[in-house]
Amino acid sequence: MLRTRKLLIGGVIVGVVLSGCGGGGQTNAAGVRTIDVALTDESCQPIALSAVAGPTTVHVTNQDADGVTEFEILDGKKIIGEVENVVPGLDRSFSLTLKPGSFVIYCPGAKKERGTLEVAAGGTGQTADPAARKAAVDAYLTYVKKEADQLVADTGPFVVAVKAGDIAKAKALFATTRSHYETIEPIAESFGDLDAALDAREGDVPAVEWSGFHRIEKALWADGSLNGMSEVADKLVVDVAKLRSLIDSIELEPAKIANGAVELLNEVSASKITGEEDRYSHTDLADFEANVAGAKQAFEVVKELMAKNDKTLVETINGRFADVESALAPFKTSSGMASYTALTNANKTMLSQRIDALAEPLSRVAALVLQ
Amino acid sequence: MNDTPKKGDVGESKKHARGLTRRRLLGGAAVGAGGLAIGGLSVAKLSGHADAQSAQRVAFHGAHQAGIATPAQDRLLFASFDVATRERADVVALLKSWTRAAERLVNGETVGFLRDPVSPADDTGEALGLEPARLTLTFGFGPTLFERDGHDPYGLAASRPASLVDIPAFRGDALDPARSGGDLCVQACGDDPQVLFHAIRNLARIGRGSVVLRWVQEGFGRTSSTSQTQVTPRNLLGFKDGTNNIRSEQSDFAQHVWVDPGADPAWMRGGSCLVARRIRVRIETWDRSSLSDQEATIGRHRSTGAPLGATDEFHTVDLAAVDSGGALVIPADAHIAIANQQSLGIHLLRRGYNFTDGMDPRTGQLDAGLFFLAYQRDPRVQFIPMQHALASGDTLNEYIQHVSSAIFAVPPGVNPGGFIGEALFH
Repeated sequence: MLRTRKLLIGGVIVGVVLSGCGGGGQTNAAGVRTIDVALTDESCQPIALSAVAGPTTVHVTNQDADGVTEFEILDGKKIIGEVENVVPGLDRSFSLTLKPGSFVIYCPGAKKERGTLEVAAGGTGQTADPAARKAAVDAYLTYVKKEADQLVADTGPFVVAVKAGDIAKAKALFATTRSHYETIEPIAESFGDLDAALDAREGDVPAVEWSGFHRIEKALWADGSLNGMSEVADKLVVDVAKLRSLIDSIELEPAKIANGAVELLNEVSASKITGEEDRYSHTDLADFEANVAGAKQAFEVVKELMAKNDKTLVETINGRFADVESALAPFKTSSGMASYTALTNANKTMLSQRIDALAEPLSRVAALVLQ
Repeated sequence: MNDTPKKGDVGESKKHARGLTRRRLLGGAAVGAGGLAIGGLSVAKLSGHADAQSAQRVAFHGAHQAGIATPAQDRLLFASFDVATRERADVVALLKSWTRAAERLVNGETVGFLRDPVSPADDTGEALGLEPARLTLTFGFGPTLFERDGHDPYGLAASRPASLVDIPAFRGDALDPARSGGDLCVQACGDDPQVLFHAIRNLARIGRGSVVLRWVQEGFGRTSSTSQTQVTPRNLLGFKDGTNNIRSEQSDFAQHVWVDPGADPAWMRGGSCLVARRIRVRIETWDRSSLSDQEATIGRHRSTGAPLGATDEFHTVDLAAVDSGGALVIPADAHIAIANQQSLGIHLLRRGYNFTDGMDPRTGQLDAGLFFLAYQRDPRVQFIPMQHALASGDTLNEYIQHVSSAIFAVPPGVNPGGFIGEALFH
């Protein structure tokens, strides 16, 4: 599910280089600026710092000042950031989010204990070319629409088979039809109840309301009978059409797309790797593969909006996608993916670890997409 | 704005703590007086209140890693990792990141930035407000980091210490491979289990993609004293354990525990070798043995910890003493008779913990016992001969079973700016 709290992306400032009076600064891959401060017996150096508001790491070094081992930033009387025990030869860092204003820097024990820190308002951050942002969103929307079109197209024959009582044919079409839903699942989840209508598992909703793919899955594999499934099949057609039409009016932004990629991998971690998603058909690996493919597509479009200095992160994520894909490769069959029951516990552990290894760096991307 | 912080406000109360901290740092001792609560810090100190013991910090830097000679803390969380990356450079980068994180964690600090609302926080947050709790993080390298199935994955095979042997099979072993071995280990010890969990969780998170967890063991009560300042605790058998453990104050501690300054490979000088064994206790069987049987099995009185026939815990173990009927007071197959340092001449630093992993679902019995950890210079002449002797002769074997085994080369300590195992990778 796309959680709204993850969409509060507007306040991030990325990619600024600040300069101070004698102090320098640099921005790391996570958009955090660094200020360097040296402790000397004379004073904090530089004694007049300037910075730009935002996430900041203060890196404090002490070469040989025996009597000065601490550095504090004070807002009035309140300490808003500090580091202690920076004895000669050591360096230490602390981080804080600087707000605009005037602050005091304090090096107790120095001849001149106090200095100043002027923090300017942010907003001078590097921003993405609006055309590039639009191109990225459009590229992803094209993919989403293509998948939704395919979902609608494939649901047709699947439903025909269900209504005709053709269990063998319906079973054969089940996983491939669903896969076009699984690639774009976070989009469907953003439309309220639609995800539940299409994809609820038994027990997720009251029994009388249970509809969608998994209701039919149970009929096919557990009950061995499609009695009473005609209505469910009709509703499935209506619901996938509704999904397709809602997509035309969806508004996306790059950070939301990036978070959607992580959500897809969380889906894998939560239900596919445990075999809970397709508990009757054991077609979980088909969903797994589709989730990963959807996440990769999302990442491919947003990575173009990441700052140049995030290149290492992009390379890491590319490598981890490759690791997941190579782990899945042995389970590909001529007609799709092998049954979940083919996995040993060691296979499951390894797949789960590779998903975690990919999702961790991927979770950093949303904040780095230039606004 | 330029006012000096006034008496009673945050800045002033800090000054008091500062003096303590600095003095102890200069003394080079394990540092006391954790940070006091400060409002507005973005990279937070995890400390809240100043409780005498839990507020204590143990210095990370030094000639030896902390967590070995350090007086044994009350809790353990031990994690064994397998390296997932194929790149030596990734291993080096991981060890650097772990070192930086460990330096912060043992100080009761978060591992990184907390307040960026749009990213997952660098630190997971559950230790905010908690004291450093004498946290130590001790890192080790398993044999499979050096050689794996005949391969040399990271170009380290030539640097494998001869003492880092593959532990041989002992009589009665019932080892679970999934709980044994590992390429890397992190021993987290401290007085607060949440602080330990936070440390291991964040180290695992930092390592995601480079390492994967292989197994984890929690321990809840130290089973040995490593300092003369500590009383001897009891293990789950109900007996005092570790009465004759070597103590960090002993003059011969270094020769039993630390790798000799002249030894090869040079990167291990000042390090140690760790053997870990998960020893399951057949709790239910033990509990239905008579007290005299239990005491004869261990060779000590349960109440006092004194050797059989003696009255004080620290009385010399007299294995030759006989009763009026001419029978040995301490049976020849009692645990202390076999393990006794006088008879074997072997000393090692035991630093184990009691554990339980709940219930064994197969039997409905408690899954509990002793997670044995022993530091030594060379297990070929310390742990291995000792365990061969115990495995073949100790009556206690009726009540215990070794179910996991691991060995790790523990590199020496880190200086500021360095990283764990730096000399190995250079």
